[in-house]
Amino acid sequence: MTINRRDFLKAAGVTSGMVLLGDPMHGLRALAQSGAANDLGIYREANMNWDQLAGEKITVLLSPAHYFTKFRELTPQFTELTGIEVEFDVIPPKEMRDKAVLDFTAGTKLYATHTADPMFLPLYVANGWIDPIETYHSDASLTDRAWYDIDDVVPLWRAADSVNGDLYALPSEGEVTIHIYRRDLYEANGLAVPTTLAELRDTASALNGTQANLAGMAFRGFRGAGQNMYIWPSLFRSFGGEWFDANGNPQVNSAAGIDSLSYYVDMMNSFAPAGVENWNWPEIMEAFAGGNVAQYIDSNSTASIIENPANSSVAGNVGYQRWPLGPAGKRVTSIWNWALPINAQLPERQRKATWLYIQWLTSRPTQLRSAMYRETPEAVVRTGVNRLSLWASPEYRELVEFTPDYADVVLTSLREDTDADWRPRLPEWPNIGEVMALAIQSALVGQKTPEAALEEANQELRRILG
Amino acid sequence: MLREGKGTEMTETGIQAAIRKRPSSRMARAERRFAWTMLAPSLVVLLVVSTIPLIVLIGMSFYTIELTQAWKNGFAGVSNYVRMLNDGRFLSSLGVTAVYTTATVFLQVAIGLGLALALSGNFPGRNLLRTAILLPMILAPVVVGLSWRTLLLTPRYGLIDFLSEAIGLGSRSWLGDPSWALTSVIVIHTWQWTPFAFLVFTAAIAALPTEPFEAARLDRASPWQTFVHITLPLLRPAIVIVVIFRSMIALRAFAAIFAATGGGPGSATEILNLYAYRTSFTSFSLGYGAALATTLLLVTVAISVVFFRVRQRA
Repeated sequence: MTINRRDFLKAAGVTSGMVLLGDPMHGLRALAQSGAANDLGIYREANMNWDQLAGEKITVLLSPAHYFTKFRELTPQFTELTGIEVEFDVIPPKEMRDKAVLDFTAGTKLYATHTADPMFLPLYVANGWIDPIETYHSDASLTDRAWYDIDDVVPLWRAADSVNGDLYALPSEGEVTIHIYRRDLYEANGLAVPTTLAELRDTASALNGTQANLAGMAFRGFRGAGQNMYIWPSLFRSFGGEWFDANGNPQVNSAAGIDSLSYYVDMMNSFAPAGVENWNWPEIMEAFAGGNVAQYIDSNSTASIIENPANSSVAGNVGYQRWPLGPAGKRVTSIWNWALPINAQLPERQRKATWLYIQWLTSRPTQLRSAMYRETPEAVVRTGVNRLSLWASPEYRELVEFTPDYADVVLTSLREDTDADWRPRLPEWPNIGEVMALAIQSALVGQKTPEAALEEANQELRRILG
Repeated sequence: MLREGKGTEMTETGIQAAIRKRPSSRMARAERRFAWTMLAPSLVVLLVVSTIPLIVLIGMSFYTIELTQAWKNGFAGVSNYVRMLNDGRFLSSLGVTAVYTTATVFLQVAIGLGLALALSGNFPGRNLLRTAILLPMILAPVVVGLSWRTLLLTPRYGLIDFLSEAIGLGSRSWLGDPSWALTSVIVIHTWQWTPFAFLVFTAAIAALPTEPFEAARLDRASPWQTFVHITLPLLRPAIVIVVIFRSMIALRAFAAIFAATGGGPGSATEILNLYAYRTSFTSFSLGYGAALATTLLLVTVAISVVFFRVRQRA
């Protein structure tokens, strides 16, 4: 689907009109959306020729999410700047990923780039499906390095998008998991914010059932490499677990593995709502917004929904904290970003055009404009801009000031609370993720004990990696 | 098509013999050419979308094709099939498939037959009721899976969970508890596809001869005797047809389970079809996935052959 310039301007006009009717932040958004926000001068400050590939056409594969809607609606500015036409295919994440892999394996060259799962990049690289970013980034005719300022892109997300030290994609939007809790319930029950996972269990126990239909805690229970295998690895690592021993053999059946899985199973079975086995983040978020879950650990991006009074009965009563410390004395958060790689099978001019698009989309001006952009008056704000400088800037902080320290909690988590290898980043990841997700859920629903589930999973991992 | 040799236990009918003995005239050849011309488009489509992929699939099952470990790829002989014998997840999926297929087919036949008999008489509102019974069948299985998961079975908010609590059975995680999940997906499948059995049985009952029933009435047979000794034997061909169709469909059920449980919790509802799908498209082990799919195909063909034999005897 393409959005032409006229549609975009119409939409921008409508929203900026609404903004002017008494929104406290209208000055800021008016700047971002009206005249100045359409100004291409800020891009032309870069010492490079943006329209050197005019007439090229690329297709981008996206998953449906509000931030991609914002990028899509700003893309006419890119076309005006470069003369490169951009088309979009939008399909849900799992199908999107399958389609991207099929495109690569079949060599159909349909998609110039897609919103990739960073955990899939080692697989792409092992097969030679994507190009190193440095090829384009170090080409002075294609990039003004000082203007683009790649070091400003959140280092942890860049690390997650690198394979063996080389960058293969750039983050367009990202997230980090944090502890999200009901401040009002904590106060009413005289609870202190937990600093360790053991204390977290105590608060869950104290809050569970204090009101009708109130569950004490929830983690993701749904089976999948990006669902329960997104949260449990953080527990595993903060219990001191390591994926591989010195010889490179998997060791998820270690004491840390069993203890962390037992902790997860115990927390879920004791305090989580019925049916949590099939819950992914949207279900947790909705239950929390409806006042049925007292706290959860999940993506910081859920804040933009639970703080919206139109959709949430708990808006304004929410607190945010970094992950509690595990028994090993460290916090390990889970991170994610939508990574944009360059399809190596395309003709050279298209690959260059793709780089220009990725560069434009991940640049500071576009990141800010998309953060300020509202596709509808009630649109959700972006909580995952990729630039450290934006996280430090007053105008962006004001936008995400759900609590005075929200931005700091997110930023500190991103800086200190994990490394890119908190999950095993190997070409075999899809297979590993599937095996682990099944083991975690089998233990959760009592089909197997944590010991048995992890023992089996470890054997399976040995077979896969052998 | 006529078969030589082994097939001759069936006596040839006069017409078949006549066709065989007809001299091949030019007109016959022209007719045959015309027939092939008319058939060609469908044959080509069938070849492209069905036969060739099937042959490729069977071929792939003898190779190691790991998208995530391209260096392992190569001819694998029967090793994919040997691996299955020691694959706990495969054996478990085979068990789930057997339970799922047997239970859904049995329930569909029993309930479908019951409904068809109950609605075979004449009473006001019969047509409306018949139409209502057919409705689940016209829904897309994905929609069925999702609706059951969200509207009916969600703990605390779902209609069925609400009813269960109201009659004192308590709230359950119908799709999250391994001991209930398989039952739940069996109920979902039965709910959606019993109308098919109902439809076939209704047609079969309408076509039953009236004489045996009149004779039974004259002999003062009880309703149960009439059912067991007359209705059931007369309906046997219809029952066998329903069993064949529904087994083939149940064996390769996918969408409703995928939407309702995704094969979970754990592997409680992971039928062979889902496991093959996950192996190919989540783990990207295309060779092993193809072997699993081929095995499912063989099981389906074997079961169908058995049932068709039964039907020929019926």
